[in-house]
Amino acid sequence: MNNIIDIENLSHRFADGTVGLDNINLSISQGSFVVIAGPNGSGKTTLLKHLNGLLLPTKGVVKLSGVSVAKNLTRSRQMVGMVFQDADSQIVGETVSDDVAFGPENLCLDRAEVKRRVARALETVGLHHHKDQKPHLLSGGEKRRLAIAGILAMDPKVLVFDEPFSSMDYPGVKQILAQMISLHRAGHTILVAAHDLEMLVAHADRLVIMQDGGIVRDGLPSQLLGELETFGIREPCASRWGKEVHSWLN
Amino acid sequence: MAELNVLGFHAGSSMVHKLDVRFKLLFLVVVSLSSLKSFVPSLSILTLVLMVTLIHTGLPLKMALKDFRYVFLLLLVVFMARSLSVPGLPVVELWAVSVTREGLYQGMIVCWRLMIVIMIGLSFVLTTRSSEIKAAVEWILKPFPWIPAKRIAFMMSLIVRFIPIIFEQAKKTAEAQRARGVESRKNPVYRLKMFGIPLMRRIFERADKLVLAMEARCYSDNRTDSLLSCSARDWIALVGVACLCLVIIL
Repeated sequence: MNNIIDIENLSHRFADGTVGLDNINLSISQGSFVVIAGPNGSGKTTLLKHLNGLLLPTKGVVKLSGVSVAKNLTRSRQMVGMVFQDADSQIVGETVSDDVAFGPENLCLDRAEVKRRVARALETVGLHHHKDQKPHLLSGGEKRRLAIAGILAMDPKVLVFDEPFSSMDYPGVKQILAQMISLHRAGHTILVAAHDLEMLVAHADRLVIMQDGGIVRDGLPSQLLGELETFGIREPCASRWGKEVHSWLN
Repeated sequence: MAELNVLGFHAGSSMVHKLDVRFKLLFLVVVSLSSLKSFVPSLSILTLVLMVTLIHTGLPLKMALKDFRYVFLLLLVVFMARSLSVPGLPVVELWAVSVTREGLYQGMIVCWRLMIVIMIGLSFVLTTRSSEIKAAVEWILKPFPWIPAKRIAFMMSLIVRFIPIIFEQAKKTAEAQRARGVESRKNPVYRLKMFGIPLMRRIFERADKLVLAMEARCYSDNRTDSLLSCSARDWIALVGVACLCLVIIL
């Protein structure tokens, strides 16, 4: 399978001298569902921000389909859609449809194409009935679906989720999980950064564990579950009891 | 779920919603200026027209009164200052201070005019998307090529867009402080300091997150803008507003 993301010797040092990432090498194949796990401060978000050029490497290179992210930021941001941990902060528009239109408008698409993309993205996430509503009045799950619609309207190849279930209730978690799986089935490459693997591990086809800015494990989720707690990540309940981890959607 | 806030765009299909934003800006300026020349009869007509307009736009009246309670307090201060400072026939005398008939009249007129300006501003904000304001400001600044019109227009639209969010942040900060007993501290300087510093920090943090979210969605000065188009409806409204202003002034 073709690699859509290639990260080579990536290091990032913040302005205050703190090391955010230390010599990361990682390749992600197109269409895969990868979970990046690690405790707070392990470098997950810093790594994700390099995928669309929100942060640029101190050393090394990140390539999307063979082209360096830093060389063409607009292409990178169009290819890699990112759903932030705090969905509220991602809302720019005054109505749901205005917010979804923000990305396509930035790509200078003509008005008819913007409208078409907004309608399609809202239909995909099931928010078309709320198109004239104020985004800040949506529930937590709906806001995150709006954030997903906002990036889907830009037609990305890769969808990156940073702690997608933080401060969400059970129905909200199920909605977002179902959305992620449906997008994966539609051919998108999915990358999820999380510190709790309970809801994700049954769906991921690869698990990458980070600690102190580096990758410490990379493999099949089923093979790494027993080691999770060594790295400060909670092992899913079913796995602790020696059972197979099932999807939350079953 | 967040509470509704009256300051901000409310989607709707009223006639005011459908007017071209450039005409609405013109009406805002002309009616505000005309109100400065008006007295009781013309102020009554203006108030009636604006009340009907606001109800027609779907203004949640109860919520508006609640959100504007501090504005009413400010108006009360202005009224008191006027009634105490304008010389004339005393109505009430307390020690060396006297409330005069002329002062009461002038205080009432000034507050009424301010209310008119607030009402017309409110009807503009309620019915106009910030993207439309941006497009109108760009159109106005077009004849001045040395002014960065796109940037100024976007800054202005962001200010309008984020006023409700600043209010929301202020409310959250106040609630958090009340929960920790700030009301038992009677020193207003202390309370202002304890309220202002965290509020400013929250606003700047929110602004930082917003910048990241906008960059992640390829924001730049060159983007698909709102289409500005005027129709017969706008010209009819212009004639109506011109007649109203003439009635007020003459």
